[in-house]
Amino acid sequence: MRNINIEVSRSLGESTYITTLENGLKVYICKKKGFNKKIGIFGTKYGSLDNDFIDIMTRKRIKVPDGIAHFLEHKLFENEKGNALDMFSEIGVDSNAYTSFDRTIYYFETSNRFEEAIDILIKMIKEPYFTDENVAKEQGIISQEISKYDDDTKYTVYYNLLRAMYQKNPIRVNIAGTIESISYINKELLYTCYNTFYSPQNMFILVIGDVDVNKTIELIDNRMKKYDGDITLNEKIKKFIPDEPKDILQKEITQKLDIYMPRINIGYKLPIVDGEEITKCEVISYIISEMYFSTLSDFFQKEYSEEKIDAPVDFYYEGGDTFSHVVISATSKKIDLIEEDILNYIEDIKEKQIDEELFNIVKRNIIGNIIFSSESLSSSGSTIIESILRGTSVYKEIEVLENITSKDIKDFLNKLDERYRVSSKIISKE
Amino acid sequence: MRIYKINDDKFKSIYISYNFTFEVKDESDFSNSVVLAALMSKTSNKYRTLKEKNRYLNFLYGASFFVNTQRFGDLYSIEFGIEYINKEFLPDKEELLYKVLYFLKEMIYNPADWSEKEIQREKAVLANRINKQKDDKFNYAIKRVEELLCKDEPFGTALYGGIENVERVDKSSLIKAYDKLLDSCVTIIVSGNLCGYDDIDKKINEVFKNCNNLTKKITDLVFNTKKESLSNIEVVNENIDATQSILTVGMKINNCNADDFYALNLYNLILGGAPSSKLFQNVREKESLAYDISSIYNCFKDIIIIYAGINKDNYNKALRIIEDQITQIKQGKITDIEFNSAKDMLIESLIECNDSKISLLDNKLMNIIKFKTDSISIDDAIEQVKKITIDDIVRVANLISTKKIFFLGGIDNA
Repeated sequence: MRNINIEVSRSLGESTYITTLENGLKVYICKKKGFNKKIGIFGTKYGSLDNDFIDIMTRKRIKVPDGIAHFLEHKLFENEKGNALDMFSEIGVDSNAYTSFDRTIYYFETSNRFEEAIDILIKMIKEPYFTDENVAKEQGIISQEISKYDDDTKYTVYYNLLRAMYQKNPIRVNIAGTIESISYINKELLYTCYNTFYSPQNMFILVIGDVDVNKTIELIDNRMKKYDGDITLNEKIKKFIPDEPKDILQKEITQKLDIYMPRINIGYKLPIVDGEEITKCEVISYIISEMYFSTLSDFFQKEYSEEKIDAPVDFYYEGGDTFSHVVISATSKKIDLIEEDILNYIEDIKEKQIDEELFNIVKRNIIGNIIFSSESLSSSGSTIIESILRGTSVYKEIEVLENITSKDIKDFLNKLDERYRVSSKIISKE
Repeated sequence: MRIYKINDDKFKSIYISYNFTFEVKDESDFSNSVVLAALMSKTSNKYRTLKEKNRYLNFLYGASFFVNTQRFGDLYSIEFGIEYINKEFLPDKEELLYKVLYFLKEMIYNPADWSEKEIQREKAVLANRINKQKDDKFNYAIKRVEELLCKDEPFGTALYGGIENVERVDKSSLIKAYDKLLDSCVTIIVSGNLCGYDDIDKKINEVFKNCNNLTKKITDLVFNTKKESLSNIEVVNENIDATQSILTVGMKINNCNADDFYALNLYNLILGGAPSSKLFQNVREKESLAYDISSIYNCFKDIIIIYAGINKDNYNKALRIIEDQITQIKQGKITDIEFNSAKDMLIESLIECNDSKISLLDNKLMNIIKFKTDSISIDDAIEQVKKITIDDIVRVANLISTKKIFFLGGIDNA
């Protein structure tokens, strides 16, 4: 008998089933009764930060070009007989993939071609096919993708922020790399990264939808068995990420682009936390954002009527194994004034007593939002992926929320230290 | 009053959509409507500040209230929407329905007496949005080619009616716009988990009794005012200081009728609207000229827009491939794979409509406006799609002609 763990969320009225296949691959099934759509996700705990590691085949340390995880993501769609994207679209199935700092995620969405889509997904991940020609072709497409992001203020201001905040962590480099760095990528390097990071122990499959749990697990197990004979070395992955100093690199980066509306990101570098603590920081930041920056705050009312902002300032936390920070983001024609106001305001709210009534109202709001987002299969998917990467249980969010006190809010605010604060701005050329 | 209900117990919440739809006579109608919508989304007579209003919504377990403006071809629509959670899923099974309905009524029928300062502030926000259009190059280039294609038609009007018209908005024009709004066609649709809310339509009628003008019918409104074809192809260039360039091609569908809707949807998926499409395969996958390439079909205005993010030097090459692919479809050069995968994709997206209360609601409203009926089910639509043949695609393809090309040229060459 297969051992299946069940995690139940009473508040959402749903469950997620978890099992580990013999080869070490973890499989998660989040059952969503009544939905037509089914999402299949194959993910690996490998992202743009993993550029320096022990090659699992040669056991030698290797440094690979920036952007290779993202390049590999594009290239895995290629197989000997054609292209997986085509195979998915030939059966009317939508599919895509994305790469971030610490993960690469491949997914499809379908209502009535689930089995075939699982076949294609597993095949594309397990049967890489890189050639000199198909690598060269991809360099052209990805160059256009990089150019697109270079023109995008949202991306540029964010990456500049990370470059100001971190001194050594590879988070400083764009996920897609640069047009130059990707020119050094070749098929041998792609195989090296693939062999090291695409082993079953480093990966997971997640299915969301109204599927038969046992049948789905059997289906996946059956399709994966075919590859059990492959050389998959079950060694622990060894990555090197430089130790990051506590200090920031520089206080400010300002860049000019041909845009009308300037944009600012303010960042606070924080001590690294792990697992459930990351979720807790996220939820606390969500509460702070609602209480102090959303449209119900006095701050918004004031800044809006003074024409400093047109939309609420964003406040959110991002954390992983090697990074931890808060980002505060705004667009404004008066970028320096809004910066000054935000910084003074942060100091203000650190001192002020917490409005308990507001704190409880905001908690009700967030409970509602968690329920709302569980109606969407893809938002449920994102939440579960986070829990998989953090090694926490699937339905932690509501529990974490219920346990947060106003003191937690205060403590978190007091961690936002001016010494570790950076600003990144994109301003108009004129 | 008739209230359209869409019920499915897989959802946990309920979305009530209160739509006002009207014909637009003048560019300034857009400007007044959008300022009005912005003001009405923020405050009311009872909730005098945004803070009071949003504190109340947060208290209702994050019920969300929004005012959307939308163009259905030449028609304009202002939607007052509210979403709240079915009591079954709330701690202590707290009932919110009446609170939500009276809140919605307050926001629509008891507007605040806006101060001059508030009016000026909303105008400034819109002026900023107009000015920053170019910051999003794809949307800007698509909007520009739409304007060129539908010049002198309400749909082709500049965003929010243009900056001069926004500047002219004042309190008296807003009061007129509000009166016009109340006098326009109302369509109310409820979508979501209506378990325990069988009589939701009765309750809505009870709360909104005598509020609306029931004499106007949405089916009498004209969403496409001008149908004659344009003459020559016009190319318009504009420069921008950016790395990437955007090419947009605007096409007009001449003399099609409502029955061609599904064939045109399929045509669009074969041309550029899907990864299996001819444009995606040839411009991106074969020639590596673009990362983004796609096409959009607007069923209210009978137009199709192609857009691609390319390197400036590749303008001629990309355009040549695009034109070639358009011709191929006209000549019936469509493979079974191209045809069947587009069909599967369209059917799939119709089935997936059932998984979103918003898509279900949008689909209902689209049917009411476009087909003047609410009786087309998703299953009916799927049956229609199944019947379409390659010959149907070739027939509609030959109704289509390229009319406008807009090129937003970058300065650098990446």
